[in-house]
Amino acid sequence: MSSSDSSLSISSEDPSDRNHDLNPKSIEDQLASTSLVEIDAQEPEDHREIQNGVDYASAGEGSHHQEIENNDEEVIVDAAQEELPSNFGVPGGLVEVEEASMGLGRGGVVWMRTNSELEVDRPSSPSSSGYAGERGSSGASSGGVSGTDEVVEDEIQEDRNDAVDDVLDSQASWVPGKRHVDEDDASISWRKRKKHFFILSHSGKPIYSRYGDEHKLAGFSATLQAIISFVENGGDRVKLVRAGKHQVVFLVKGPIYSVCISCTEEPFESLRGQLELIYGQMILILTKSVNRCFEKNPKFDMTPLLGGTDVVFSSLIHSFSWNPATFLHAYTCLPLAYGTRQAAGAILQDVADSGVLFAILMCKHKVISLVGAQKASLHPDDMLLLANFVMSSESFRTSESFSPICLPRYNPMAFLYAYVHYLDVDTYLMLLTTSSDAFYHLKDCRIRIEMVLLKSNVLSEVQRSMVDGGMRVEDLPVDLLPRSRTFPHLGQHKLPTDSPDRFRESYAGVGGPAGLWHFIYRSIFLDQYVSSEFSAPISTPKQQKRLYRAYQKFYTSMHDRGIGPHKTQFRRDENYVLLCWVTQDFELYAAFDPLADKALAIKTCNRVCQWVKDVENEIFLLGASPFSW
Amino acid sequence: MSSEGVLRLEKVIHTLMATSGNKNINAKLVLLGDVGAGKSSLVLRFVKGQFIEFQESTIGAAFFSQTLAVNDATVKFEIWDTAGQERYHSLAPMYYRGAAAAIIVYDITNQASFERAKKWVQELHSQGNPNMVVALAGNKADLLEARKVAAEEAQAYAQENGLFFMETSAKTATNVNDIFYEIAKRLPRVQPAQNPSGMVLMDRPAERVASASCCS
Repeated sequence: MSSSDSSLSISSEDPSDRNHDLNPKSIEDQLASTSLVEIDAQEPEDHREIQNGVDYASAGEGSHHQEIENNDEEVIVDAAQEELPSNFGVPGGLVEVEEASMGLGRGGVVWMRTNSELEVDRPSSPSSSGYAGERGSSGASSGGVSGTDEVVEDEIQEDRNDAVDDVLDSQASWVPGKRHVDEDDASISWRKRKKHFFILSHSGKPIYSRYGDEHKLAGFSATLQAIISFVENGGDRVKLVRAGKHQVVFLVKGPIYSVCISCTEEPFESLRGQLELIYGQMILILTKSVNRCFEKNPKFDMTPLLGGTDVVFSSLIHSFSWNPATFLHAYTCLPLAYGTRQAAGAILQDVADSGVLFAILMCKHKVISLVGAQKASLHPDDMLLLANFVMSSESFRTSESFSPICLPRYNPMAFLYAYVHYLDVDTYLMLLTTSSDAFYHLKDCRIRIEMVLLKSNVLSEVQRSMVDGGMRVEDLPVDLLPRSRTFPHLGQHKLPTDSPDRFRESYAGVGGPAGLWHFIYRSIFLDQYVSSEFSAPISTPKQQKRLYRAYQKFYTSMHDRGIGPHKTQFRRDENYVLLCWVTQDFELYAAFDPLADKALAIKTCNRVCQWVKDVENEIFLLGASPFSW
Repeated sequence: MSSEGVLRLEKVIHTLMATSGNKNINAKLVLLGDVGAGKSSLVLRFVKGQFIEFQESTIGAAFFSQTLAVNDATVKFEIWDTAGQERYHSLAPMYYRGAAAAIIVYDITNQASFERAKKWVQELHSQGNPNMVVALAGNKADLLEARKVAAEEAQAYAQENGLFFMETSAKTATNVNDIFYEIAKRLPRVQPAQNPSGMVLMDRPAERVASASCCS
């Protein structure tokens, strides 16, 4: 990683870094303001919800209530961001389409296509698409606002009923697997779910649905297929349909169609990226050669081929709300002393030289070390999908196993064989090979690796790192203040893990220096990111998910080809100050207290970058990519 | 140590083990059968003495080993517990190739799983090793009230096709060890009996040669 000597300064020329009050207000702008005020009135209630500890991620029956729930916070964030200058004055592109739909009102449907930006204004009715955006009351299609409010009230009530259960739930207790199998598209609860994912075949046969039994959704799938083929018949491709606050995103990959229907206000690009990952997960299980089945028989039923993989998909979909790797396209490492990681890397290199294609040692979703045979490189998305596949399948924990898997970015057509073995409850070794006879060789490799790891204490260091955690904003070196310490590196934090949180709870809004709450640093050359540990005030999974959604939106706007790429962006809304800084070497995303001082925030970002560089030996796997040293 | 050295040393160890008097047989065993028939449950009961009511479905194949002492020999089973999912069917030969034994498992409460078991028998007969010891296991025998496949029917089928048949229950452990034990007894004994007195003389030099090359 080359250290960039440029630093972010207050006077940086940043077109988007302007106070929006200076801008003349467009009609949309005013609309957005109106809605902002309107929703603002509900704010105290939302906050109470958070205080009650209503968590998004919860196990079992409790969870679907959150899923149904209309997340008001997200609406607020969105409305506030509509006001931001970076979204305005854009010629063409998705942003404009979305704004137009705001202007059309909630009944408007906007079709977004590849070749043309045709907008179709059409009242949405439950019968027109088989899917109702708002079906809260009979007057929903005309009086959209009141209809929505009604739904919101319903859902808040449902939430309160479950608040007691939800307090007990946390991300850690999330149980993968399909729920609500009894539902179908006629169920009100099914229609109210905030985010649906479907995979279907080009003949309209359901392959996968996040909620409900695929077989019962045949009619619904056929409707989705009809929409896609209707547009295709016109020599075009449908990418996005907006219906009120719902987005319907399409991804067509040969005979396999993926569709997301969401009212989560995530950007189109993010949802499309999630569909790409879901499709990739399917390829990882089956390879792309499954397409041949459809060539032989267009009405081929693919569901049996994916038997038993509901947990894999549900855990991937869950990770969209807690794992930033899903939108950063980078992986993260478990913090370890340089020497420890080197020791692990050396033994992995040893086996890679003996005919193993990839040797990957991971602890949960974090990489300990990773080695590829010559010229073989592993895409971060493939790692994400592979780790998700292994972690979500309980069967890998029972014994060592040898399974065919496909890395979609490496070679979507062919199976590799994965030897998987858990070394302890969270740490697992994956050895990938092209040879189906290699099991006993890989088993021997594993025995050697395990011996070396035990001897060099790598496994105990891994355990310790898991307990100690990663970078904490509280530990950010502050050179000017008297309380500063000299570069407290990882694992040297002085306070026990839980005490700072308790201490700070009374001071909502105090995390690190200058109101720094959280950051993500992504090294572009390394394809790796490091993210700070969550601490107060972002302590519940629900708040964390909201922050990730905000980052995700930020990431999208930073990478928008139409208006970007930006170098810096500074956004302030009632939830956060978000600051992003992109250079050739890295991307930094930082969240601050909404009242944070801008100049100080910028200064703090410079410190974060310096800090990351100071500890890069411990937080990154260096030497894994040809660009690094 | 070079990998060659490791291999040699392993051979030495194997030979040393053989000198301990008893016959040692390494046998690859594969479990085949429909999704949810209880292959993993049978293996886990046999290897770990465990039973989990809601066993997650196997991915690819899981590998276990377990050693059994039969009257005249010690049999080390290398067990491949394959996934019953349809997508893995075409990969099954990878796991049953070279196997000395197979257990084909069906669920006595599920007629379709019995039909699937018959298909596995056919496949093994046409593809597999003709000397393979094949057992047919009617699992979930504790669920008598839900029985769909009559024991007589399975017994008759087994007889026609040269298999041996048992009804098992991984849940209650009924017949689980027995079926593995029965397979161990039926495995062809490695012939001929090794000369017990000559062994020591023959093996010692081999050991020395191996260790010498290992250290050089």
